[in-house]
Formats: sequence, structure tokens, C-alpha cells
Amino acid sequence: MRGYLVGKVVQAFLTLLFVLVFNFFLFRVMPGDPAALLLRGSSAYNPQNVAQVRHELGLDQPLPQQFVTYLKDTATFKFGDSFFMQGRPVSTTIRERIWPTILLVGTSTIASIAIGLLIGIYAGWRRNTRFDYGWLGVTLVLYACPEFYLGILVLMAFGAGVGPFPALFPIGGYSTPGAGLSGFSYWIDVLNHLVMPWFTLTFAYLGEYTLIMRSSLIDVLGDEFVMTARAKGVRENDILWRHVVPNALLPTWTLTMLSLGFIFGGAITIELVFSYPGVGWLTVQAITAKDYPLMQALFLLFSGAVIIANLVADITYMYLDPRVRAA
Amino acid sequence: MRSKGRVIVMLAVVAVVAGGISAGAAYAQNESSSGTKQKVTFVWGDTSEPSSLNPMRGYMATDFYFWTSSYHLLTDFTINDLSARPGLAEKIDVSPDGMTFTYHIRQGIKWSDGQPLTANDVAFTLNMYKSNHAYLPQAYLTLIDGDVQATDDYTVVFHSTMPTSLYTGKIPYLYDYILPEHIWSKFDQPKQYDNYSAFEGVPAGEVGSGPFVIAEYKTGEFVRMVRNPYWSGPQPHVDELIYRIYKNEDAEAEALKAGEIDFGYFDSANIFNSLKGQPNIATLNGTIPSFDEIGMNTGSAYQKAGNGYTPHGDGHPALQDPIVRRAIRMAIDSQTLVDKVLLGYGLPGTSIIPPVSVLGARWEPTGDEVIPFDIAGANKLLDDAGYKDTDGDDVREMPGGGQPLEFRYYVQTGDQNTIKVAPFVKSWLADIGIKADVTAMSSGRLGDEINAGTYDLFHWGWIPDPDPDSALSWFTCEQRPPDGSSYGNNDSYYCNPEYDKLYTEQRTELDVQKRWDVAHQMQKMYYESCAYAVLWYGPILQAYRTDLFTGYMPQPSPKGDLLAGYSMDIWWNLRPLGAAGGAPRTSGISAGVWIGLVIGVIVVIAAVVLGRRSRRAGEEQA
Repeated sequence: MRGYLVGKVVQAFLTLLFVLVFNFFLFRVMPGDPAALLLRGSSAYNPQNVAQVRHELGLDQPLPQQFVTYLKDTATFKFGDSFFMQGRPVSTTIRERIWPTILLVGTSTIASIAIGLLIGIYAGWRRNTRFDYGWLGVTLVLYACPEFYLGILVLMAFGAGVGPFPALFPIGGYSTPGAGLSGFSYWIDVLNHLVMPWFTLTFAYLGEYTLIMRSSLIDVLGDEFVMTARAKGVRENDILWRHVVPNALLPTWTLTMLSLGFIFGGAITIELVFSYPGVGWLTVQAITAKDYPLMQALFLLFSGAVIIANLVADITYMYLDPRVRAA
Repeated sequence: MRSKGRVIVMLAVVAVVAGGISAGAAYAQNESSSGTKQKVTFVWGDTSEPSSLNPMRGYMATDFYFWTSSYHLLTDFTINDLSARPGLAEKIDVSPDGMTFTYHIRQGIKWSDGQPLTANDVAFTLNMYKSNHAYLPQAYLTLIDGDVQATDDYTVVFHSTMPTSLYTGKIPYLYDYILPEHIWSKFDQPKQYDNYSAFEGVPAGEVGSGPFVIAEYKTGEFVRMVRNPYWSGPQPHVDELIYRIYKNEDAEAEALKAGEIDFGYFDSANIFNSLKGQPNIATLNGTIPSFDEIGMNTGSAYQKAGNGYTPHGDGHPALQDPIVRRAIRMAIDSQTLVDKVLLGYGLPGTSIIPPVSVLGARWEPTGDEVIPFDIAGANKLLDDAGYKDTDGDDVREMPGGGQPLEFRYYVQTGDQNTIKVAPFVKSWLADIGIKADVTAMSSGRLGDEINAGTYDLFHWGWIPDPDPDSALSWFTCEQRPPDGSSYGNNDSYYCNPEYDKLYTEQRTELDVQKRWDVAHQMQKMYYESCAYAVLWYGPILQAYRTDLFTGYMPQPSPKGDLLAGYSMDIWWNLRPLGAAGGAPRTSGISAGVWIGLVIGVIVVIAAVVLGRRSRRAGEEQA
């Protein structure tokens, strides 16, 4: 078992190393010069300024030199300065967006998983009943609906108000600027800003977990040990929660862990609709502006989170499924 | 027994929720009746993020709103027509040879930390811009010879490398914001300072001389400005300015309707139209100093080498011919594009100097000078010049039956307007026997194609300065991308020695009106060359609440930017209307309801769990 664990950790580390090197070259093969992109269209766009910006961004150095600088900076957790944020440290920029991202995407992912799994369990247990058909329909519709479209509907219904119903929540942002709130009042304000994007994201994705859980549960229900349990007179409730669900959870476990790993990727379309300051939209801005340091740091963060989540999934799966341990 | 238990649980939930609401209401009541005077806050929104709040690095139009309200210019813009008026320099003396300039600095102005603003600040700032290669500001200082000197506390002197009217104060050319020496001298690399964070020996918050200074900036969210306590001009009626950054205009429009913001800028004509007629909202379609163009490769591969230029690329040879370019211009109907793509907002384009520019700078073609939309006329031009369709495929060939007039036409994936324009232009060009192959690409790749000269037509745009000098400089020979891999402003590769001569002449002309005459000649020359087909001058779509604030000042009058993008007068002219104007705008569910909801959810979960346990116990007993 120790060998298995060590192997997995080494594999994860090597994957991360590959990502580190690959990212550096991947972004540099994209067309366009970041220096020119920053200035084009403004009066500042002239060959002298472009050359100056290239120098300030370190882009006039030979590529091997840039790569060595990149490796050194990454190893010491100095990710350089953002191009399009005009010299703002990358670590500061990402740090400002991480907490709102975790607050929104993290909590909504956990809620989506919890609610989705619960609905999936009951839908599978009561398959072919009205409960099953009803919830299957609802979750399929929500899952099929583009999340930005759902977000706009939510925004218009609860942010703008419909007919006689007043607007309930603020239109966008993380908090109300200039309101001078602090302590409990501030967090209530943040909560009010969080409601609409949170609900949109939660309900847009719970269908994924519902469907997988339902199908996994139905699959397990057909196993012989379930029939054996019933024959032994075990209560239905115990059959479901003590025998069926633990086995049905296994396929969803890896999906769940990967979903948790994707939290750090943000939610681009939701952030766009609700003007929420998350990491997702920051990534789009970094890519559009060819902001190498910011892109490198962000992609390292995403990759690292998913690799670690995958590693945790592999390790915990071993404990969840005795068959893996025995093998 | 079970149903009784459920009833008890439900009643408990209702009681807790009701109690929570009451407690929250009382809590909110206490908070609102504290008796303190509410500050007046003006909130305006847009989807544009500042590029930098540091005047040495920033270059976007958005950035200027913050500098305009927190710093002085030496020569200011008037509100009505962007002509010059004294700014920080209340008087300017010019030597007879037009090469020595003495600026007399206004007295009694203080920085927001109480320090006096003196000539040392002016000299320091201009020298700092020059020596640190500040992106925008140093462009206006290129004619200054050596350093700017402060000869006493309120006098600044400098010399120019050639006679010029640019620094005489008769035109607002010196678009350089003056910064405090006692703050900016603390930085070894002043470009690295973000202009609002605390630094060694530098307190948090911007130090400025205008009516407002930057207090806070949350990237992706907002910029907050507060009153300058030492501002000596007319007192503002507003305590705080907040610029909200939205990521989509639908949300911004809803925020305006909900009163979360007082004013908004919009790019989408559809969303702007949706705001018209809304209660308590007024709209204004103004113009900004920007234009969109179809640029043509006038011969990157065929021009003579020399003066640092190497022919490169593979542009179509037909575009070297001004007749072909003129025919293309005649085939494009700018009015239709304004009507169909901009939904009637904006103005059809002609000259490279937009209508919003320093008074007198712009030339407008009249009478026979105008190149009309005329498909028949374009066809005749091409026929007479020998570009005929010799093989019957509806595409003309070069004179003598050579290469067909098939052009690469590049548009940008990041600018929907360029994509919307393409079908119109393609169709019109087909009407005159030219085939356009449209390709959409990122602006990054388009920049590479232009610098490599591997294009024929493209769609892009510019935002020139109010003074035409920088815009006119873009089309000089030395501004062409020189070798296929380096950058240059002159993306049409237009090169005319006569034009270059006139450029130098307008820089050195001491008489302002004569300078404008030369600038007009240059614009006419470029217009007639048709290296660009200027499609339109962009609109500025503005909407604002009529029940919250008054005092907007369109600059230039009457249809310019309502927040007067070049001058600070707006910031003491704005005043709140009634009690609602400038009031705090938190919204959402109150704390009490949240408390009640959370407790209610906890009680329900607890009831379900307890209920399940008691049912199990009952089953076991049975």
C-alpha cells in the first residue's frame, strides 16, 4: 500500500512539473505581442513605447533567460508582475480574487454536490415514480440550460424585479462600495451580493451529480447483495443508507473530488453576468491581454488544484473501496 | 401523536423566523437612526477597467477620469469647445524666437496632504516623465530641450529644440498631469507605484491637487475617490465618487434602473435603446474622439528600402494604386454602416481628426472634396484605369489581365462591430468587381499580420488626442512597421515625403491659425490618398438618473461626454437632487430575515433528523 501511495504522489509531482514547463512555452506560441496589445489604439502606441514596454516586461530577454527567470520566480513563489494590470504583482492580483472565488464557487459546488446527490439517491430509490420523473425533468432542464442564460434570468427576476415584484438583491459585485460597512453588516452585504450567483451556479450544476448518482444507485440496486439484505429482513431504510448508497457513491467520488479541484478555476460566465470579482474572468482578461506572468500563475494554480484533487481522490478511493486495498 | 409533533415543530419554526425578523428589524432600525449625516456619493458605471491609475503608465480613456478630478494640467480645456484656457499656468511668456517658455504657476494651491503646490512640482513632474519614459506624458515633451527648470517657487522655464506654438498655451497641447514631488521623488522606479497604496514614507491614498483623490481601488470592482480637504476651488456638492466596474452591460443597465448607479456609459446600442423611455432615466448620444477605419496595405512589399525601412510582406499590388483605393472608398457607405451597425449612433467618417478635437484642428471635406458613396462611379474609375474582368468571373484583374482583385480582409474577434461591418463591405466590393475574403482573428494576431505586411484590408480604430499632432504623426514614413517583425503606428504603410514635410511644419509653426491650415492640408492629403477609409466616429452612449443628480456638463457642448472627460469643472457642478440623491444604496434582504432563515433551516433539519430517529425507535419497539 505504501508503494501505491508513493507512486501516486510521485506521479502527481511529475505531472505538475510537466505543466510548469508546458505552460511557459504554450503561452508564448500564441500570436500577438503583449507589449503592442497593451498600447494599440491609444496615443501611447508607438515603436519607442512598445520597445520600452517590452524591456520593462522582460520580453526583450532571450527565451532561455526568460525561462530560467520563470523557474526561479515560481520556485520562490514570486510570480512576477501582471502586464495588463500595469505592474501589479501577480500574487496580489490573484490573492484578491481567490477568497471571493472560494466563497462563491466553493460553497455552491459543495451545495450542488450535496443536493444533487440527495436528489439522485431518492430519485434512484424511487425510480419510475412521480418523484423520479419530476426531479429528473427539473435537473435535466437546469443542466441543459446555459448557465449564463440562467444567470441573466435570475438577475432580471430578483435583481431587477418583475412586474409587481420588487428587486430583491443587488445587481452585481462582491459588496457595496463606499457603504462604509464593517463587521456583521459587511458580511450581510456580501451575502446579499452572493445570493443570485450562488443560486445560479448551484442549480445549474446539481443535475450533473443527480444524474450520475441516480444511475449509479440503480446499478447497485440490481446487485445480489441487495436481494440478500432484503431476504434477511433488513429494513428498507437501512438497505438504502447502509448498503446501497456507500457502494453507489464510489463512481461519484472521483467526480466530486475533481469538481472540488475545479473550484479554483472560477466560474467565468457567472462572474461575467453578475460582475463578480473571481478568478475565472481574471483568466479571460489575462489570456486576451497575453499577460504571461498572470496566465502562468493562474494555470499553475488550476493545474495544481486539479492534480492535488485527483491525488486525494486516488488515495481516499483506496480507503473507501476495500477491493482496491486488496488488489 | 406524530402529526401533533409535526405541528409543534412547524410552530416552532414560524416563531423562530418571526423572532429573527423582528430582531433584525430592530437591529436595522438602530443602525439607520444613529443620527449621523449621510455622505453624498455619486456612483457611475462602465464595463471598462482602468489600465493603471499611475499617469506614467495608464493609457486608456477611463484612466483620465480619475486624473482629471485629482490633478491639474498646465493648460486646460474649456468645456464648450476644447479650446485652451489657463490651467495651473495662469500666464505663459514666449520668447520672440518661439523657443523659450516661461510658465507662471498659480499660487495658493495645495496638495491633498496640505503641502503647497509650487513650480518645483511642475519641473520635477515633466522631467520625471521624460527621464522615465512615461508612456503617454512624455509624448508631449519631445520638443523640450534638456530639463525643465524651476527658477523660483512659482516660475518654470524650459526651451524647445525648434520654434513651436505647442507650448504657448494657445492650444491645450501639454496633456501632462502635474504630480507632487514630495511623494513621487521617493520612488526609484516611479512607474511601479500604483498611486493609491501605502509605500515606505508614502501614506495610502493618492496625493493630488484636484477636488477629489483616489482612496481605494479594488480591481474588477470599483475605484473610490474622496474629497480633497485642501481643495481651494469651488466646493463640490458630493463627498465621494465611486466608479463601478461591470462585466456586462445588461447588469449595468439594470443597476441604473434600480438606482444602484447614477450614471452609466454603454457601448451596446441595443442596451442603450432599452433605457430610453425608462422612468427617471435620460439618455444622450454624444461623440467621442474615436474613429473606426478600413485600413489598406498601400505597398509594404513595394516601397523603397532606406531610412530604416525594408520592404516586406505580400500586400496586393493593386492597393498601391490610389485609384483602386479611392474606388474602394466610394463603394463603402458610411451612413448605412452607422444606421445598421451602430443603430444610428455615431457619425459617418471622413478625416482622421474626429469632430471632438481642439477647436480649429479638424478639416472637413466639402463640395467636390467629398468622396461620395457611388458604386457606379467606382466601377467607372476602375474601368477607366484598366481593371477589367477579363474572364467573366465577376472579379476584376490587374491591367493587362494579371492578378485578380481578390483581397484578404481581416476583422477582429474581440470587436463585434468589425464582424457586423464585414458582410456589408464584402457585398459592396463585390458590386465593383473586388472579391474580399473575410477572416476574423484576435487583435494580437492582426497586429502581427500588419507588422509583417501580410494583409490587404483590415478593420480597426483609434482614439486620438484632442490635439491633432499625435494622430498626424502616425502616418509619417518613419512610423511604418520597418521590417516585418517590429511595430509601427503607420499600419497602412502610407509614405508621402510631402506629408512628412507638412508634419514638421505644423509642429514648428508659431501662429496657431497657420498651424491649423497646415494640419488641414495634411488631413486632406491623407483623406484623398484613401489609405484609410474612415468609416465612422464612435458614439458615446450615456444614460443617467434624472431624479438623483443634476449638473452634468457635456464636453464639448452640447453633445459631448457628460462627465466632461478633459476638465474638472463637472466635479463641483454636480449636485444631488432631493433626499435620494447620493444616498447609500445597499440592498438585499435585511440581517433579521437572514438570521430567521438560517435558524429556520437549522430547525427544519433538526426536526427531520429527530423525526427519523423517533420513527426508527418506534419501529424497533413494534
